[in-house]
Amino acid sequence: MKRHSGLFDVALGALALVSLGIIYAPLAVVWVFSNWQPVRVRGALQLAPFSWDSYVALTRNADILGALGTTLLVGLVSMLLALILATTFAMYYWRTVGVSRQIMQALVFLPFLLPPIVVGLSLLIAFRELDATRGAFTIVVGHTVLLVPVVYRLVLTRLNSLSPSLTEASLDLGASHCQTFYHILLPQLGSALLAGALLGFAISFDETMVTLFLSGSTSTLPIRLWSMMRLGFVPEINALATLVVLAAALATAVFGVMQLPGKRGAR
Amino acid sequence: MNQRSDVLTLEAVGKSFGTTTVLRDISLSVASNEFLTILGPSGSGKTTILRLIAGFEAPTTGRIMLDGADISQMPINRRPFNTVFQDYALFPHLSVRRNVGYGLMVRGVPKAEIGPRVEAVLAIVGLQDYALRLPRELSGGQRQRVALARAIICEPRVILLDEPLAALDVALRAQMCKFLKDIQRRLDIAFVFITHDQQEAIAMSDRIVVMRDGRIEQIGGPEELYGFPASRFVAGFFGENNLIDGVVRAIDGARCEVETPIGPLWGVTCGPAAAVGAEVHLSIRPEALVPGATEGHRFLVRDAQFAGPTTLIEAQGVEAPEVTLRLRLPSGGTRALPSVGDVVAIGWSEADARVIAAEGSNG
Repeated sequence: MKRHSGLFDVALGALALVSLGIIYAPLAVVWVFSNWQPVRVRGALQLAPFSWDSYVALTRNADILGALGTTLLVGLVSMLLALILATTFAMYYWRTVGVSRQIMQALVFLPFLLPPIVVGLSLLIAFRELDATRGAFTIVVGHTVLLVPVVYRLVLTRLNSLSPSLTEASLDLGASHCQTFYHILLPQLGSALLAGALLGFAISFDETMVTLFLSGSTSTLPIRLWSMMRLGFVPEINALATLVVLAAALATAVFGVMQLPGKRGAR
Repeated sequence: MNQRSDVLTLEAVGKSFGTTTVLRDISLSVASNEFLTILGPSGSGKTTILRLIAGFEAPTTGRIMLDGADISQMPINRRPFNTVFQDYALFPHLSVRRNVGYGLMVRGVPKAEIGPRVEAVLAIVGLQDYALRLPRELSGGQRQRVALARAIICEPRVILLDEPLAALDVALRAQMCKFLKDIQRRLDIAFVFITHDQQEAIAMSDRIVVMRDGRIEQIGGPEELYGFPASRFVAGFFGENNLIDGVVRAIDGARCEVETPIGPLWGVTCGPAAAVGAEVHLSIRPEALVPGATEGHRFLVRDAQFAGPTTLIEAQGVEAPEVTLRLRLPSGGTRALPSVGDVVAIGWSEADARVIAAEGSNG
């Protein structure tokens, strides 16, 4: 069957190539501009000779670096909080039966389904009433609310795929519920938690809408870029974007390698 | 069976899930070194009994006693029983060594002590060389042994086995049957074994509990259940059987005379005593029937199937065509086997005929 579909496969491949080209071309442009800075010579676009100038400028731009630092911190903290909360929720749903777990699940999913503008606005009003100063802390709360449903879904899917007899075997052999969670369930959830962490961090990294309401005078990277749009971009943005793409590609590659079967060793 | 010391006793145990009753009035006891099999078709409640003993479920009514103390409410992880699960339930991320040592590890046994004990148990099940493997790197039979090793290392009072051979192929199953029985004798502890396979039950058990629709149908040794089935259900569960319907005409102690289509026949009463006029089955095992008897009933041979060491012959009554008998005769016997179309006189010893009460439902 494969032998007769040569032309079809070529067409498919060509279509995929063109599509991927359209998706990745802008990224390539950003990378090119980061090393060959564009200059306008009498209205015509020309590229300056190769240099690391925009990267060097980036290391000196305290504004952008500060925003990047906030973004990383917020992403890390809200990711960790979401992992803990989502695992707790998922365990509750998995272990119990009845109406209460359905209500809990609906409440967990709701912030994800609500328009971000509603979530952001309601959090803003709540924080104002509580007299909480807007800043990194309030952003973390907002992001955690958004991340929990995502991680919850991943963890619950993994739990549902486990044989109930694993838990029963552990209890049967004399382990407590805590020991069972730590020794048996947690290792089984490893890949789901890793996926949740990566996905959660990625969502937090570029979250803009809710963050706008909660950031106050603190800026995350998306907020900073957003405000730059009015003033015009500086060349170091190209360098930053290139680095972010590289980091994302690296994380994806690491994740992919860890998912390969038969790689985990035993002791 | 005197002088037996019971380790585990179920007293009138019942279990319902919502409005569905899955077990009714289960009373049985397990001796401290007994191989007890709970046998029944799927849905008969046998796995629920195991789950009640292990503590995964709590009984709705009745009590579960360990050495005379009620343990119905004792948490799973405190009960001195260990389970071999149908799907083995080996921990996939732990090596064989850590799987087997798990029960000791969670109980806080020092590491220095766990190592030698794991080695010793792995030696018993013949897996010394597989200590560092992961479960997915083992064959079905090996996983089975790991599951058993993991259960016996904690030195439980009772080992519970939930259809552990169901996932194995036929040849391996026979081998594991013998292996399990050997281990049980060697450890001298009680095994409670769940199965729907009467071959396994007969091969291994000291006693068999036959389950049906959430009730105990009969408890007894393998020979007893085969030779004296208390009901048609039990008779049908253990091997082939000829059943002739009839009505009790006279009772003489443990024997009674049954009016059947082929005339009045005497048999030994099994199970609850029959009354005169009661509908019964006369049950005769195929190997108990003798063709060419001087004193017998005339049957027409309809079919003869060669089955290696024995040949199965199907014969229809000449005077009573509604009665069909199946005979199992040795293939290489001194006497020539009857062929299809022959009319033979079939007889049997009166002691081989059993009288079993007929059932309204499944009769």
